[in-house]
Amino acid sequence: MIVQVTLHEWRRQHAGLTFWLLLAFTQLIVAWLSFAQLEAFAEIAPQLRAGAATIGATDLVIMPTFNSLLLLLLLTSPLLAMGSLAGEVHSGRMALWLAAPVSSAQIVIGKVLGLWLAILPLVLSASLTLAALGLGVELDTARFGLGVAAMLTVALWLACITVFVSGLFDHPAAALATSYGVLLFLWLLDSLSGPSAPWHGWALLPHVEPMLLGLLRSQDLLYFISTGGAAVLLGIFLVDRRRGAI
Amino acid sequence: MKAVLDARQLTHGPEARRRVDTLDLQLKVGDRLGLLGVNGAGKSTLLQLLAGVLAPHAGEVRVMGHALSADNAGVRRHIGFMPQRVPLYGDLTVHENLAWAGRLRRLSGQPLRQAIDAALQRVQLGGLSQRLAGQLSAGMVQRLGLAQALIHAPPVLILDEPTAGLDPLQTENIRDLLKDLPADTSVILATHLLDDVQQLCDRVILLDAGRKVAEHAVTGQTDLLAHFRKPDTGVAAR
Repeated sequence: MIVQVTLHEWRRQHAGLTFWLLLAFTQLIVAWLSFAQLEAFAEIAPQLRAGAATIGATDLVIMPTFNSLLLLLLLTSPLLAMGSLAGEVHSGRMALWLAAPVSSAQIVIGKVLGLWLAILPLVLSASLTLAALGLGVELDTARFGLGVAAMLTVALWLACITVFVSGLFDHPAAALATSYGVLLFLWLLDSLSGPSAPWHGWALLPHVEPMLLGLLRSQDLLYFISTGGAAVLLGIFLVDRRRGAI
Repeated sequence: MKAVLDARQLTHGPEARRRVDTLDLQLKVGDRLGLLGVNGAGKSTLLQLLAGVLAPHAGEVRVMGHALSADNAGVRRHIGFMPQRVPLYGDLTVHENLAWAGRLRRLSGQPLRQAIDAALQRVQLGGLSQRLAGQLSAGMVQRLGLAQALIHAPPVLILDEPTAGLDPLQTENIRDLLKDLPADTSVILATHLLDDVQQLCDRVILLDAGRKVAEHAVTGQTDLLAHFRKPDTGVAAR
């Protein structure tokens, strides 16, 4: 049943105009950013070659663009997720879900995976744009691959967080505003305090940047699994609460 | 005859303000039961409890002999539920909405396609299957809601104000569709309209503040308005 819910959520996203506008917007921004970075790289490339520098297009074009893509995902995923649970409640469709032989876990996990599938084209189209640069410049394919994996991981994590937030509210607009608040907080948390602050581990960027630098650390994976998993469990709790079961 | 739906001591809501209060209700094969009550009497809450949308705070609902809360997949497929506000996706077509309602009821492949065709035919929306649900008129929306509830041919059909907000012609159309339901389909219908009960039901329960205050057989001579005003008079409770 999770597969059915996932595919339904994916179809629902594609039927709406928001998805296509966000895809076009993201693609436009990524293309513009990557070509701007490439232009800047082309200007300094002779100096880098002359100085036998160890940094190249991967460091100066690909990774900064992935950083920008991360911000774009933070901006776009709440827009796609706001209706996933709150929209069902607001439009009265939640009754259809709750009356059906579907468990709360199947609803939430299906919604998360469906949202992730909907975000995937944003990540993949941006990644293909960046991969196309490999036709003209030399790329570090391992780091590029890890960068794509980082974006896919962040996209899944964002789906978990935003679907949970959507479950808190009866109106999509409230879910959207709160999702932006939560994500902005997690995004800025490390810049508001030093690395020694006890809440530094909750910040998002310190767990993404190592992956963009080519480091795959267990603590980063643990961060995404634990916070994303907790969000899914809380989302299931929220749907159960709507049934009055808790 | 064995009850297809049996609710015992059903209770929902905080103690100070029960929305449904220790209510018993039985539905046998082919029964057509109406629920009447003023706004806030607990009709919709009761139907949501019977459909498994809400979990009771006390008491239990048994469908075909099985507890509704204990076996989601097995029991819920015996119930078709049409909420007061028809649950549809406005940016999906009529066909896509029905397909999703069927998939939620664990239909797939050829049985799903056949169920969609049968449901569309039953509610006379066959010619509109590719129209976006958001572009349907109020009457068509109610018909689509009915098709969603009927897609898996459930033995128990729970309808929350199926004629609410419709003009007289649309109301008559929905009533005709409900009259044409298979004889072995048991129906519970909440409504404000005495005519709905008079034309569609063979039994009526009057609700007030979440409690069952009367239960009457409905015949051509039954003065529902009198019972509604003063539920403890008239035809003996069944």
